[in-house]
Amino acid sequence: MGVTVLQPYSVPEGQTGPQTIEFLAKRLLALGAVQASTFIVDCETFIPNPQHGTPKTVHVLHNSEYPASTFAVLDTGTKQVPLVADALFDLLMLKMAPAHTSKKQTKIESKGARFEYGDFLIKLGSVTMAENFKGILLEVEYRPCVIPSNCWELIRELLQGFLGVSIPATIPPYFNTPSIMSMNHPKSSEIFNPNHTKQNDVYQPMDTINQYLEHFGNFRKQTMLSGGTGIGAPLRS
Amino acid sequence: MDSLNNALSAIKNLRSSVGHVFEVLANGVQAHHGDDGRDSKFLVQFQELFNNVNLNLREVESVINGLTPPPAPFNLGHTAALAQETTDERQALYSQLVNSYKWVDKIHEYSFLANNILNCNSLRRSYISYSNKRGRLQISSCNNTSPQHVDKVLNELSLNSLQTNYKIWRPFGSNAVVIVNIGRILKAAIVFKGVMIEWVTVKGFDESLDVDDLWTESRYEVFRKVQEQTHSAMLHFFSPTLPDLAVKSYMTWIHSYNKLFTEPCRRCGKYLYNALPPTWRDLRTLEPFHEECKNC
Ligand SMILES: [Zn+2]
Repeated sequence: MGVTVLQPYSVPEGQTGPQTIEFLAKRLLALGAVQASTFIVDCETFIPNPQHGTPKTVHVLHNSEYPASTFAVLDTGTKQVPLVADALFDLLMLKMAPAHTSKKQTKIESKGARFEYGDFLIKLGSVTMAENFKGILLEVEYRPCVIPSNCWELIRELLQGFLGVSIPATIPPYFNTPSIMSMNHPKSSEIFNPNHTKQNDVYQPMDTINQYLEHFGNFRKQTMLSGGTGIGAPLRS
Repeated sequence: MDSLNNALSAIKNLRSSVGHVFEVLANGVQAHHGDDGRDSKFLVQFQELFNNVNLNLREVESVINGLTPPPAPFNLGHTAALAQETTDERQALYSQLVNSYKWVDKIHEYSFLANNILNCNSLRRSYISYSNKRGRLQISSCNNTSPQHVDKVLNELSLNSLQTNYKIWRPFGSNAVVIVNIGRILKAAIVFKGVMIEWVTVKGFDESLDVDDLWTESRYEVFRKVQEQTHSAMLHFFSPTLPDLAVKSYMTWIHSYNKLFTEPCRRCGKYLYNALPPTWRDLRTLEPFHEECKNC
């Protein structure tokens, strides 16, 4: 289990999504990466029926890297409660249909090719929501390292190298959030340490899921701002 | 052993001469004894052979008298159990025994060859020399220090560093295996012989590394590379005259891997070269270099 960083990549003007993906794949192959199968991460959001108590949204996600698990995030608006369950959880959600209904038109997924480059795992995801192309989301995992702050520079250099764009030197904001782990940490001195953020914690599979949720949320917001879904239209940003 | 062999061959001679006597007797008087006085000729021949038998018998007796009885019954180990089962078919051991004999023979042959080749190698780190005259190992003092001394050296080391923790095991008798966690970056198992470092296995922080399995390589390329580097440094730091200092400098050196992912290469200024971070640490300054950058 290494550290994973997500990086959205905007489609250049005058190009389609698939063209850009193909271009990036060629770059990776030229570097010496090898394609190793494909991947998919999907997210379905269940919204509560108003008559059933307090409104809590449930996001249900799957990651092909962990095929036996279902990830769920309960979103109360102020707090997010993560949950990792086995695949049976999906059936449970169906049973809960009276309380929560799925917003099918917001079902969003990122899928594409998976590349191995040394100890790196690079995934070129094209994001689609309700069958419409929304943008490109890159996933870079550095497998030997477990602490995000330790290998951020490595990942940044790799991203800059093959994307040919400058990436901010600071670690993505997700890793600056206070660590939940520190609350349960046996060393009491670290409980009240506000500087102890996720970037200094051992990376967990749930961190990948949280990052996807964050980026999927951004893609959905963009759709709402641009006023609906243009069919197959390349997204500009 | 020689006298036992003599006795066995004397018995063989006796058997064959007795066999000859019976053969002649069974054939009876034959044409080659001629017509005249053939009975007496046959008798003479028989007497001659009989004398032979007597001679051989006396020889066997004298050789057997010369043998000393073994002080105790031979210790046959598990082979003694062979006598319990008499049916050949049910044992099926013969072919296996022949095979293992062949293997042992080969091991002897190969180890002899390997010994010759290693003796030519100037990079030899141990003072073990195999002398044919004495037929036993001579081990120098640097390999043969007391476990307490090794513990003392290692304890001094663990007091000096905070991010690194040491665990000492002795799975092979008195020789120590030290499992070192360097930060949250890597784990290393260092196998000692006395106070001399004999082998190092490097693995990732999330990989398992325990004393029962010191030989499987890391699944990550970067740690396999680091392991190679630790081996060449092991040869560099080896010092038969100051073994304690050698171990201490080696540990200081290996500790510099706590910044494996966070320091760029001193030569090219980059983090990555061929998808690998700088895996080499300068032996004196501990500065990080890519393997490709360290020599230019
Ligand atoms: Zn370099």
